[in-house]
Amino acid sequence: MQARKILPPKNAVIQFFHVSKQYPGGQLALDDVSFELPRGDFVFLTGPSGAGKTTLLKLIFREEIPSQGQILVNGRNVASIPRTKIPFLRRTISVVFQDFRLIPRKTVFENVSFLPRILGADLSRQKRLAQEALDRVGLGHRMGAFPLQLSGGEQQRVSIARALINEPEILIADEPTGNLDPDLSEEILSIFHEINEQGTTLLIATHDRWLLERLGKRILTLRAGRLADDSQPLSTTEGETP
Amino acid sequence: MNLWQALVYFLREAAISLVRSWRVSLLAVLTIGVSLFVSGMLLLVSGNLSGILADWQARARIIVYLESDASEDQITTLRKTMAEAPGVVGVEYVDAKAAGENFRRSFPSLSDLVEGWKSEPLPPSLEVSLDPEMIDFAWVQGWTEEIRRRPFVEMVDDDQDWIKQVATAVALAQGIGIALGLVLLAAAMFTIASVIRLTAYLYHEEIAVMRIVGATEFFIRGPFYFEGFLQGLLGGLLATGSLFGVHYALKARYSASVWGGVFLEQAPSLGAQGFLIALGAVAGLLGAVFSLRREDLAAPTEDP
Ligand SMILES: Nc1ncnc2c1ncn2[C@@H]1O[C@H](COP(=O)(O)OP(=O)(O)O)[C@@H](O)[C@H]1O
Ligand SMILES: [Mg+2]
Repeated sequence: MQARKILPPKNAVIQFFHVSKQYPGGQLALDDVSFELPRGDFVFLTGPSGAGKTTLLKLIFREEIPSQGQILVNGRNVASIPRTKIPFLRRTISVVFQDFRLIPRKTVFENVSFLPRILGADLSRQKRLAQEALDRVGLGHRMGAFPLQLSGGEQQRVSIARALINEPEILIADEPTGNLDPDLSEEILSIFHEINEQGTTLLIATHDRWLLERLGKRILTLRAGRLADDSQPLSTTEGETP
Repeated sequence: MNLWQALVYFLREAAISLVRSWRVSLLAVLTIGVSLFVSGMLLLVSGNLSGILADWQARARIIVYLESDASEDQITTLRKTMAEAPGVVGVEYVDAKAAGENFRRSFPSLSDLVEGWKSEPLPPSLEVSLDPEMIDFAWVQGWTEEIRRRPFVEMVDDDQDWIKQVATAVALAQGIGIALGLVLLAAAMFTIASVIRLTAYLYHEEIAVMRIVGATEFFIRGPFYFEGFLQGLLGGLLATGSLFGVHYALKARYSASVWGGVFLEQAPSLGAQGFLIALGAVAGLLGAVFSLRREDLAAPTEDP
């Protein structure tokens, strides 16, 4: 992979300003959350289940819209991007979902190479890119399988391969190791580390304590929708409910 | 990706999907096929029926027999008057000689009978063709009475019962045809719509994923539109194929009977076949368009 365009290192790539989110008829999922993610950062998002982690991630790529406050991605207000421009925002953000979100009627190869394909890459380039991405997650031999023929952990890795294929500017992952055993978790972690070195900004939601302690990265902690803690690198992690 | 590449992509994706989800595809193709087949059958029968009725209508006429000594002036005047009357399609003069030849041709066994006659056996006549749909029968009755009273008119053969029956049959056939057509069309739309709702439900998750990954609506919708179009096209081909087969088989079997003759005389025309296939393709395409319109409303990216 090529190094991407050089930008000022402390240029914030994701900014939340007093963001609240209330689902229709629901309680407050996020409550006055503010933070910034500098470009090239590697940040974990944690908190007990129901704390609002998934909601926070969805707001970044505009699967949801904030009820209050503003979210800027690369300086652009995400909520005011016109509908027709949303796909272009999403192409700069790769997402690894808790529930994988693979297309069951398409093969592993077709799922992983979907974006290059609709961007006009020819078949041999699609194959090469998919092979590279799948090799990184150890699934280079399953290109022709359908998602439902794979285990949960394998589907998780396919969704990670899909997230890697377009060398994203931002990578967001929701419980990416939730379905993996420790060996694979370690491998995925090293892949994340590697693409972070290449300049991708990472935001990983997890309550995997091992993952949190392993790298000594910045950790955002949500509790009941509020940003309860924002601990900088090397600070001690306080005990929180997984 | 340029437009050509995009179309190739759409077609490829549609074809793959058609084969992979063959059960759903088959259901869609059969639904469209059966709807079009039934409509095609109706088209075929009503086409044949209206051909026959047109034939009968052409025979709806009044024959005015003239005295043999009627002057040319009198004939011309009467002819003109009648030609201007409402519902009259044409007036033809048949002179005595032509009438005699007609008679001998139509009834060769009787021709001996008239062989020795000095004059022609039949009087000259004016044959008035009518359009049964345009006629006011009460008016025609009075009108023929009036003509009958003219001095140089020998007799009027007006055969009104026949004309009335044909007119009724034509009106009935058209009414039933339109009603049946509407019912069938509604039934076809309903079945096609339910298949489409099913496929839209199946595609829902897929479309959500494509959106999240960053596909534009153009690339999301294209393959589905092509898929609908192809399904409709296949349904149309299936319908015309079956229509041909069924027509051929029935005709072979029933051509001797009256009904066979009435309903199966003509095979479905090329125009009708093209129409059915195009209708299928359009129905499939519209189905895809409408099912994805509903999809659009369900998208989680509504503006605040
Ligand atoms: N689509 C939704 N509609 C209504 N409420 C929701 C929806 N998604 C999440 N919530 C609620 O918002 C809160 C935060 O959920 P979530 O962001 O999924 O938390 P986490 O990912 O930390 O477990 C929870 O109370 C959850 O029930
Ligand atoms: Mg969650």
